[in-house]
Amino acid sequence: MAKKLDKEQVREALKRKVRQTYEPVKPKVQLGFIHNNVDCIGCRACEMACKDKNGLPPGPRFRRVQYIEGGTFPKVYAYKVNMSCNHCAEPACLPACPTGAIWKREDNGVVDIDSTLCIGCRKCEAACPFGAPQYIPELNIVSKCNMCIDELEAGRKPYCVMACMMRVLDIGPIDQIDKGAYKTTAYSDADKQNIVRQVKNMANPELTNPSIRFVAHEQGKVK
Amino acid sequence: MKRNNLLTWVLAGAVMLGLVAASAAPGTADEPKLRGKKIKGVYIPHNYFRAKWHKIHFKPWIDKATNEQCLLCHKEILTHKPRKKSPAGWKADSVLAWYQTLDTYEGPQMTFHARHLTSKFAKQVMNLKCTFCHQGNDPRDEAPNTHANNQGATGFTLRKMVDPEKTCLRCHGKFPYEYMEGLEGDWSKIRQDFESEDTPNGCLVCHAETYRTVRHQVTYLKPKNIEKLAKKSSDVCYGCHGGRKWYRISYPYPRHPWPGMKDVVPETPEWAKNRPTESEKRYRRK
Repeated sequence: MAKKLDKEQVREALKRKVRQTYEPVKPKVQLGFIHNNVDCIGCRACEMACKDKNGLPPGPRFRRVQYIEGGTFPKVYAYKVNMSCNHCAEPACLPACPTGAIWKREDNGVVDIDSTLCIGCRKCEAACPFGAPQYIPELNIVSKCNMCIDELEAGRKPYCVMACMMRVLDIGPIDQIDKGAYKTTAYSDADKQNIVRQVKNMANPELTNPSIRFVAHEQGKVK
Repeated sequence: MKRNNLLTWVLAGAVMLGLVAASAAPGTADEPKLRGKKIKGVYIPHNYFRAKWHKIHFKPWIDKATNEQCLLCHKEILTHKPRKKSPAGWKADSVLAWYQTLDTYEGPQMTFHARHLTSKFAKQVMNLKCTFCHQGNDPRDEAPNTHANNQGATGFTLRKMVDPEKTCLRCHGKFPYEYMEGLEGDWSKIRQDFESEDTPNGCLVCHAETYRTVRHQVTYLKPKNIEKLAKKSSDVCYGCHGGRKWYRISYPYPRHPWPGMKDVVPETPEWAKNRPTESEKRYRRK
């Protein structure tokens, strides 16, 4: 016969905290995004495809096309920086989550979120240096890009990539993108020397090692 | 027909003018109050766009904004609470994150704003203001340095109203054990070698008299309270020096000289060579 539990004893045990630590997951393959800042025309088809797929209300945007314009006549410039979740090697949102709603997949490095476990404390939103977690006020929860994990598992690419009419956005193993060995329309042979992990005004990639690379505009390079 | 069109345009114009006049007219709002107290010297926003473009959101005025001024419009910070249950029924009071197992953590799950500003431990050791994190914004552009009015240090990064490297990283960076002679790993792994009943805070084995004894002398912290609380547990120190690490690097704190520094460390170590020797001007204690 099982020993009857002393409820008081159980309550006391629950109150006692066992000190825990956090070790980041090291995936077998790390998938990441590549975006060509120069050839992107800013049509926002990727944003719309993403919103459509994820059923997002007005407001939250998992993918954000950012228009960067500036300079003084005659030296003016315009380019686009396109970011969603960067599925960082060591994400800041993950350790900040108190409920374990965010986790990193060991097979492909996707930082996934189960928003049904979210309590809406918005700590991940504050911790992310790139503004990826999006607060949904109607539900008081946070949600974000999961690289369309269902599509990946079905052998297809995410909706944003499939919707890009200029073919300047793509996903692939980040180590191969770094070497220029990944076959994609997002960069040409000439662009391979121009692939960077940070563009101007972006938060320091050393913070979380984001899995995103850019073909940077001349004015968007970090010098 | 033409006459009718003209009449429509004239009427429409009159209505528009009326709307503009109404929105530009001084508001009839009462003296602003926060938690029942009147706030002096505060701009009363008459409409959304005027408030949005008010200079208080831009540098250099944002640096002088008070919490009361910010909270006049951003009231939801005070009232927003996490859900009691997640949509799947996960109870908020039954979960604890790894960093919430530190000795210093107590109370229910809170939003990050509340945890930083109104929680017991935050009030004991910190003196944060809204403008500590929110140092600038530009409703027009998503990036700084793109037009004449947002040049230089703007205090925000691409699509983020806070520059985490200059703010969050101060207390959410990793434990830099590689800079400390004799330490072989993260504090969580080596703390038992330094702590006993007589020394509940292992950090003070080295940091009470020997290394870096001048510390936390900035306006956003309460140095006396930190020293007082730190006598009881190393979690008071470790919390901000690795125990809540969101980021994989540590903040390059200024290296203030301490009494007897030259005797202990005659030469500046490699990692400290480019570091300033005093805190930024905006945080210095007078």
